[in-house]
Amino acid sequence: MSDQQMTIHLKVWRQKGPNSKGELVDYTMDDVNPHMSFLEMFDWLNEKLMKQGEEPIEFDHDCREGICGSCNMMINGQAHGPQKATAACQLHMRQFSDGDTIYVEPWRAKAFPIIKDLVVDRSAFDRIVEAGGYVSVNTGGAVDANAQLIPKKEADIAFDYATCIGCGACVAACPNSSASLFTGAKIAQFAHLPQGEPERKERARAMVDQMKEEGFGDCSNFAECEAVCPKEISITAIAEMRREYVKSLFD
Amino acid sequence: MSKFKAALQSQVGRKLITGITGLGLVLFIIVHLLGNLSYFGGPEAINTYSHTLHELGGLLWAARLGLLVFFLFHIYLGISIWLEKRRARPVGYESYNSRGVPSRQSWSARSMIITGVILLVFVVFHLNTFAFHDFQTTVINGVEMHDVHARLTEVFQHEVYTISYVLTMVLLGMHLRHGVWSSFQSLGWMSRNSNPVVYSIAYILGLIIAVGFIGLPVSIYFGLV
Repeated sequence: MSDQQMTIHLKVWRQKGPNSKGELVDYTMDDVNPHMSFLEMFDWLNEKLMKQGEEPIEFDHDCREGICGSCNMMINGQAHGPQKATAACQLHMRQFSDGDTIYVEPWRAKAFPIIKDLVVDRSAFDRIVEAGGYVSVNTGGAVDANAQLIPKKEADIAFDYATCIGCGACVAACPNSSASLFTGAKIAQFAHLPQGEPERKERARAMVDQMKEEGFGDCSNFAECEAVCPKEISITAIAEMRREYVKSLFD
Repeated sequence: MSKFKAALQSQVGRKLITGITGLGLVLFIIVHLLGNLSYFGGPEAINTYSHTLHELGGLLWAARLGLLVFFLFHIYLGISIWLEKRRARPVGYESYNSRGVPSRQSWSARSMIITGVILLVFVVFHLNTFAFHDFQTTVINGVEMHDVHARLTEVFQHEVYTISYVLTMVLLGMHLRHGVWSSFQSLGWMSRNSNPVVYSIAYILGLIIAVGFIGLPVSIYFGLV
């Protein structure tokens, strides 16, 4: 793999505050190392901007290993960029070519208001989880590992849904700005486990209602969410959410 | 009861109703297509079919009423979902691209509102051309009945009607290509394994229905039948 430096033209959304008017600003980087991660390139750009006395670009990040769900960037019109099953922090510049122009925009949704530049407020997701995405039983000390037997298949399905990191890519990529994949995964992960059983009806109803309350759009089954999800969560989660919701109506 | 009322207004309920009414309309379309195909059996076949249908009386009116209710709910929800989508993202992206498979964001999926509205306009004209038309009568086996065969033959001599009909049926096929698959997903009937199967079936069904409907006007226009 080449270590040759690349020239990258960036068009980055800059917005001073929640109510300011934003715009795409052009930056050209002529010394991008292909082994840099996308965020490292932003660090490098910010260092240069600061040296020039300009305000650095705000962007969210934390673990930088694809598990915290903090980073959120629309890269060339795709949530987290072009690489399958990859969060923006794990995307590397070798995925691009010398001379490329890259659009970088924040998640766009009414329910995710922009705070500054590329940073959006995703607390709407927290409120969906607060509505019912938990098990409110005080279990005391940890029980013996095999005291409650759960079939491997069920445990695996629940685990697949539980890998959701709440990054919001599903909403960002959805033409309708629907939060159905996120909410579906949070409901479905409990629907396969005995721990989720006692509150399953209240959970499904409360979380689906909260999703609408937050101003996310309806799901039109575009399945774009599954395509961009860094954890590759299937839209089966959405089908499960719908089943759980309908079942919750009958006692 | 308030639980059910809330459910109908929830985002799950809205898609559920859109799906159920959509599948109901697909069933109607299939029956309609089979009826159309009886034209190929000659004047006696299609006129007798039409006459038998009208002989159902009350049952036919019940079906028409059901169809109207399904249609209105489907239209209302389709438009409402589209409006909601615009509200949910007031500022769009400068650059937006689909990631591709497993995304189902096809041309037909993105244009549901457009194909839907065109189909609605078509239905109004279509009812005016056929259902509300003052038919000539013909006598078959001693029974006087509407001459549907003559009307079809007359209408599809006209270029404008034939072309617009054919184009609308292409749009119908597109609408069903996403709609049929989407309905099953909205009803929560989809699993990871059945998803690609149903998606393919929806494509084939959309194609068959479009080709089926296009066959009749094209055959009449070019004098093949």
